[in-house]
Amino acid sequence: MADSNPPRHAGRQEMMVWAAGSALTVILLCTLTLVMVVMANGLGHFWPSPVEQLELTGGERVMGEVTDRNMSPDGGERIQVKTANRDLYGLDFRWISQAQVTRQTRPERVVLLERKTHGNFIGTFHGFEENGNRQHTQEPMAVERLNEEISKARQGLAALDPLREDMMVLTRETERLTRRAAKLRYQGAERNQAELIRLAQEEALTRTRFDQLNHQFAEGMTRLEQRHAILADAMGREVLLPLTQVVRVVTPNDLSWFGRVGVYASRWWELLSANPRESNTEGGLFPAMFGTVMMVFLMSLVSLPLGVVAAVYLSEYARQGMLVRLVRVAVYNLAGVPSIVYGVFGLGFFVYGVGGVMDQVFFPERLPTPTFGTGGILWASLTLALLTVPVVIVSTEEGFASIPKGVREGSISLGATRFQTLTRVLLPAATPGIITGFVLAMARAAGEVAPLMITGVVKMAPSLPLDGTFPFVHLDRKFMHLGFHIFDVGFQSPNVEAAKPMVFVTTLLLLGMVLLLSLTAIVLRNRMRRRYGSSTF
Amino acid sequence: MDQRILNRTKRVDRWARWGITGGGLLIILAVVGILVLIVQVALPLFFPARGEEITQRGLPSGVVPQDVLAVGVGPYLEGGYLVTRGGEILFFPLNGPGAAAPSVSDERVRLAPPTPQAKTVVAVETRLVHIHTLLWQDGSISVERVGFQPQYAEGGQRVIGHSLERLAVVPALGDPLRLASARTVEEGTTRLAATAGNRLHFWRKAQQTNFLGMTQTALFKAYLTPVLPSPVTALTLTGDGHGGYAGLADGSVLYFDLSDSDNPRLAEWVHAPPGGGAITALNLVLGDISLAVADSTGGLTTWFSVADASGARHLQKIHTLSVDDPPVGHIAPSRAGKTLAVLDKDGQVRLHHPTSERHLLTLDASRPMTLLGLSDRENGLLALDDQGAMRLFRIHNPHPEVSFSTLFGKVWYENYPAPAYVWQSSSASDDFEPKLSLIPLIFGTLKGTFYALLFATPLAVLGAAYAGQLMNRRLQRFVKPTVEIMSAMPSVVIGFLAALWLAPLLEHHLTAPFWFLVFLPVVLVGTMISWDKFGRGTVLEATLRGMEFLLCVPAVLLAAALAVGLDHLLTQWVFGGNFRQWLFQNFGTNADQRNSVVIAFALGFTVIPTIFTLAEDAISSVPRSYTAASLALGASRWQTVWRVILPSASPGIFAGVMVGFGRAVGETMIVLMATGNTPIMDVSVFNGMRTLSANIAVEIPEAPVDGTLYRVLFLSAVLLFSTTFIINSVAEVVRHRLRKKYGRF
Repeated sequence: MADSNPPRHAGRQEMMVWAAGSALTVILLCTLTLVMVVMANGLGHFWPSPVEQLELTGGERVMGEVTDRNMSPDGGERIQVKTANRDLYGLDFRWISQAQVTRQTRPERVVLLERKTHGNFIGTFHGFEENGNRQHTQEPMAVERLNEEISKARQGLAALDPLREDMMVLTRETERLTRRAAKLRYQGAERNQAELIRLAQEEALTRTRFDQLNHQFAEGMTRLEQRHAILADAMGREVLLPLTQVVRVVTPNDLSWFGRVGVYASRWWELLSANPRESNTEGGLFPAMFGTVMMVFLMSLVSLPLGVVAAVYLSEYARQGMLVRLVRVAVYNLAGVPSIVYGVFGLGFFVYGVGGVMDQVFFPERLPTPTFGTGGILWASLTLALLTVPVVIVSTEEGFASIPKGVREGSISLGATRFQTLTRVLLPAATPGIITGFVLAMARAAGEVAPLMITGVVKMAPSLPLDGTFPFVHLDRKFMHLGFHIFDVGFQSPNVEAAKPMVFVTTLLLLGMVLLLSLTAIVLRNRMRRRYGSSTF
Repeated sequence: MDQRILNRTKRVDRWARWGITGGGLLIILAVVGILVLIVQVALPLFFPARGEEITQRGLPSGVVPQDVLAVGVGPYLEGGYLVTRGGEILFFPLNGPGAAAPSVSDERVRLAPPTPQAKTVVAVETRLVHIHTLLWQDGSISVERVGFQPQYAEGGQRVIGHSLERLAVVPALGDPLRLASARTVEEGTTRLAATAGNRLHFWRKAQQTNFLGMTQTALFKAYLTPVLPSPVTALTLTGDGHGGYAGLADGSVLYFDLSDSDNPRLAEWVHAPPGGGAITALNLVLGDISLAVADSTGGLTTWFSVADASGARHLQKIHTLSVDDPPVGHIAPSRAGKTLAVLDKDGQVRLHHPTSERHLLTLDASRPMTLLGLSDRENGLLALDDQGAMRLFRIHNPHPEVSFSTLFGKVWYENYPAPAYVWQSSSASDDFEPKLSLIPLIFGTLKGTFYALLFATPLAVLGAAYAGQLMNRRLQRFVKPTVEIMSAMPSVVIGFLAALWLAPLLEHHLTAPFWFLVFLPVVLVGTMISWDKFGRGTVLEATLRGMEFLLCVPAVLLAAALAVGLDHLLTQWVFGGNFRQWLFQNFGTNADQRNSVVIAFALGFTVIPTIFTLAEDAISSVPRSYTAASLALGASRWQTVWRVILPSASPGIFAGVMVGFGRAVGETMIVLMATGNTPIMDVSVFNGMRTLSANIAVEIPEAPVDGTLYRVLFLSAVLLFSTTFIINSVAEVVRHRLRKKYGRF
């Protein structure tokens, strides 16, 4: 009998307390680990790591960043080296058995070039080449000259920018003319004959102008691309790289600590401000961030008023009875309905239903190419708005419920109407609740991906949903999204191993965004609860 | 006070009341309308097929009903044709109501006789709608193909042009023929015929490339059988001519393997069961795998070859489409799907689908029919009635392959050895049989959810018990926000980490989680003992009461480190070195990289905060007096928790687990990324799965709008919606009762 042996019994009791404690520990540690893994991988990716040169037993030399080290399946330690130079070796990474390495050094004057295509290049810099004229040395050169030349090339590119802008304008103009012509033709080609002929002439003019500009642009580009840097890989194989292709030059082994910080900062700045390159595995995330923010913004425009009105009705205007209680339970439970179901609804109702009708009514000349009858930022935002309305309702109702009854009665007894009570007394008091719901809804929307995948998110959108062309806000456009970016780059890109660090960075950004919003909501809610000293939920 | 202001205030108040009430109701209706819309999209799956007569016309002049051997109708239902005994094909317009000018012209084409002796046609055999094998009275054969092409005449008027092409001619055999079928493909023409002497004869003219690379024409002829005991009543060939089927008057079915021109042979003779009637019609279902067989007792069945245990293939009856309807005289397979249109002896036209075994439709007609022809897209059917009127029916048959039993039951699909639950929605070829069983997906969903709850429930409930009752008050303040942050983690982030960080890690240390479960108690006991020895009675004890879990942190970390560090050593010792091999040898399962252990962790991670929050809510709502009473009676801390608090809070904890279940069932991104998405049914922890939600995400972007797949995916959304909604509602009711019981609310 356990009871006849009190000390052991007590010990077992204590044991269970400890077990419960360790369950809590495991939960907290899991959360911590997740955040730490994302932070470590995401923050570390841009820090310039040294380039090692490995001399192998066969006389082969390999240069690259050491990225991993573990036991190979057949025993023996092995190292993973990011050799870059995908154009030369076909792969970015290589596993080398430690036993093969005879010497490991960190040579000076190694350059790491970030290129617009083919990923990074690791090697040494030996001079310049232009139209067959070579100025080069056998020994690796310092990179000051290279940097100078690259900034010259960049200036050359910048000089071509106005041309590019003009071309964009002309392209849009052509598109507008084509659309207008299609519309007129749809309304009756004979009736609009004169107008159509005028449009055709205008279009021809635009095209001629475009061709001229395009020619100029192409000439300028060819001129710039004639100047190459002469580079060599670890084995001395020569590579000619057009200077226009270089994004950034890093000398990883010759950098001071401040130099490293500089490189790190400039890489982050690129991430936040530039467009992606290399099928999203490199470059910036600006369009994805912009798409996420704009989608959340549009979602809030719809979800906030709807949620607040519904909550006001439920808690202040509806007669509290069985029916309202049922409705309330139903609305609350909608928050637990899987998001993919909302996505399916959005696809069936918004995209194919409303969008299809809109196309037939407003853009019949473009059919069968859909305008609104396909996924777009508007439909994605509306779908997410539906998904988050219950969140806003729940939180707003909580806000109303936390207001003591006396406040309402006081207001009414002083002669205020219901509406006055609502706007002057209740709404201000419930504001923290409303804002909490609002922020929670935004956090939920920013992190949700599944419904977006079927209502309008794409891996690469050619243009932002907001730009300088009339009507400036293009709600029918598809958009990019941080969450979908993670899924797409991490699972659908051709070179997952090379893309993984980038996915971690994206994850870090998304997680940062969502956690910041959630923390705001948590702080707001705690403040609200303290104010009225009661916790209802 | 100014009366005007008062009035205005009242007016505003009234308007606001109406506005808010209307708006609120509207929003609530709209949100509830979601379910209505999804159901509305899914529901047409179960609607029966429809067919209505749209027009009727007499035979062209000079044709009597007895002379017509076959009829056909074009894909646009604007024109049809008929084949006569006199060797003519007559095209004619069919103008349904609303058709403007006739877009098909009347035309009479006299077919050139294949041999000088050929005068009249005695029989026509039709292959997939528009290819007709004509058997002439002298035993010669011609194969004709009819086609319809829309064209735009001058002035933009749309007309349907028709074409007639002779694909092959087969010369007469000395013996007169009673039935024949012929097929032409690139490599040559094959003909199978039943002679008047009741033998089956094979004839093939094939293009062969000899060793010099020159193409030659070779001729093969052979009698395939001796004189058969019973007359041949039906025969047909596969599209490439490599397989032939014949049905006899005694009810047996013969299968001929004709793939080897030099050695065509009778491969199988399926003897009729006693009491069975004569075979009345044979035809191949689209895809040339299933054979539809009709007999004189009214049976309509489909058959295909199934490999037995030794690997030998035998023709076997698979689906029974009708048992005691009037016997079928003619079977017309559709070219757009597996649907079969049949004409029975009473002159009724019926539509059946083999896979779903659905009797789709019996056409509503006032007169018995004698001939029928389906249109290319299965959207119409032309039939000739016994009085010589041609009737055109429009057929609306969008989802013949779906029935309750194909969605939720075992179905015997073509080329499968046995009935099975399979999800395979699409393929590259047109004659593919969609396999739309939801069972593997439901199974996958429940499997993932089960493992996730197995991982999450004990952790969350014990954690909540500790946080709610045993923990230091000051520390408690930090636990809730952490758990809330945990619940705010986007699932795409968790899915990504699970698939690309955790899964490779677990692949190297497949058994580590199990060692962790072994080590944790050991290490905990160790920590406790040393705490008893060194910590008790010191200053630490007072400060650490309610903070034991801080000591658990190193213990848990140590257990984890031990599990990972000693993993290889222990595996060596227990499983002889290679766990995968051991698993395969003992249980016959492979360990995938994306397996249920990963899913249990990842899904569990999203479920823990849900269960934790609701359980903690329930536990802290148990009145303090209960705790006080229990402790005052001398119970220890744990006894209080285990015997008093947890039982009192159990409805709330149960509600939490249910809400967690709902959350896990609907989770999409994690399972999409980390399960491998293979729709297999295997309970093993080391395999992946495909869930309903991930399936929707994978397939709906490619599903044609309003097609069968699209509607089936909506149906799975309905399932998800109703499951989670019901579970959450029940949980809410349970929680409500609990709150009432303990006097909150």
